[in-house]
Amino acid sequence: MENIITFASVTHAMKARELLRRHRISANLIRTPAKLRRGSCGYSLVIPRQFAQAAALVRDNRLPYRHMFGDDAP
Amino acid sequence: MMYFDNGATTFPKPPSVVRAVNSALQVYGGNPGRGGHRMAVRAGEVIYRCRENAAALFGAENPENIIFTDSCTTALNIVLHGLLQRGDHVVLSSLEHNAVVRPLHYLVKTRGVRLSVAEVAEGDDEQTLQSFRKAINGDTKLVVCTAASNVFGVRLPIERIAALCRIYGILFCVDAAQGAGVVPLRVAASGIDFLCAAGHKGLYGPMGTGILVINSDTLPAPLTQGGTGSLSRSPEQPNELPDKYESGTPNLPGIAGLNAGIRFVSARGEAHLLRTEIQLLRRLYDGLAQMPEVQLYTQPPAAETHVPVLSFNLRGCDCEEVAALLDRRFAIAVRAGLHCAPAAHRAYGTASTGTVRAVVSAYTNLSQINAFLFAVNKITKLLPKKVAIEEQNVVK
Repeated sequence: MENIITFASVTHAMKARELLRRHRISANLIRTPAKLRRGSCGYSLVIPRQFAQAAALVRDNRLPYRHMFGDDAP
Repeated sequence: MMYFDNGATTFPKPPSVVRAVNSALQVYGGNPGRGGHRMAVRAGEVIYRCRENAAALFGAENPENIIFTDSCTTALNIVLHGLLQRGDHVVLSSLEHNAVVRPLHYLVKTRGVRLSVAEVAEGDDEQTLQSFRKAINGDTKLVVCTAASNVFGVRLPIERIAALCRIYGILFCVDAAQGAGVVPLRVAASGIDFLCAAGHKGLYGPMGTGILVINSDTLPAPLTQGGTGSLSRSPEQPNELPDKYESGTPNLPGIAGLNAGIRFVSARGEAHLLRTEIQLLRRLYDGLAQMPEVQLYTQPPAAETHVPVLSFNLRGCDCEEVAALLDRRFAIAVRAGLHCAPAAHRAYGTASTGTVRAVVSAYTNLSQINAFLFAVNKITKLLPKKVAIEEQNVVK
């Protein structure tokens, strides 16, 4: 499975992407894939590398994510 | 045309604003926050950049604390309608625009909200602060006031009023329609709960843009509900910022232009813009003060006490007629009348006459000020004769 963090709104997804950029972690913004939507539309960040670090940054900065999916998701 | 109606909307706009609006319309104009294609994503990025830049300008903690509206008036309505309940007491200043007065008047009639007016003493912050202190009572939920009068340019001691509200545990909302872009206003550092700004005045964006900055855990009920591009299966309006207040497709071209306008202001700095504009306004004030036919209403403008807004009249002349002559004969644009702020006119004794208002912007220069003075001087020679002739005709 791809390493993905899902968000309710594009603002939160972009805020998270900015945070990751500042920590030199690249993330691609996409619409949340159907299998991960869990009853709602929204935006997600695909994080090819350093996912665990990215997930920790999002959590530690209290960004309002919805779900985290990845091999080493917390 | 020499444009002095910058209090209504600034003109011209910086070229970067025009380019940004054009790009949004011609290059990437997808619907931000809705689709996943690259145009929609790019549109969303531009809006997000504007949130970031606005948050930096107004000292907000997070970009999502920036709510885009269609005007400062709508931002004020969100706060006033969304917060005030039956029996609440509100303190407002004596210089408020109808954008504050009319929603409050409506809430007085429909919800029994009670109001007290704090008199502003021009140039005497201590006295102004004392007026606010006296107006506050145990039921006061909100203090709302302008950062600066849109008619007379008089600044209010916003940081000190914010500190007063903190002491009493009262919410504080600032109408920054004339202050934003020239008066440094930082919500988190100052303790301002809600700041409402027009995008098309001192921020140099297009018309149809406004900002509500939220710096409070107390959130007003939203005025509108609808599609936000988020949590779409739920019939409930999202509670998260900014979606809670941003239903419907956002004004992408406007916000793209506003983003460029905010960058224009940030690059120059509000304090610098205020200083240079007040210097020009002071030249105008001093020149007008030398004409005995001109009536001025305020103290000489200074950066500490005023924004670059000046009201005057020609004794015995109708302000609308003066404005019309400035337009027709001298190609000078000003606004005359009550400027949607009858309360401010009552405070300065001009409710029955109105005033001619001249407002300086970053694009005003000294030769325009000199041309303005030349034009007014000419009109002082023209108008009284015309008035005398009309009076003779009436007598006949």
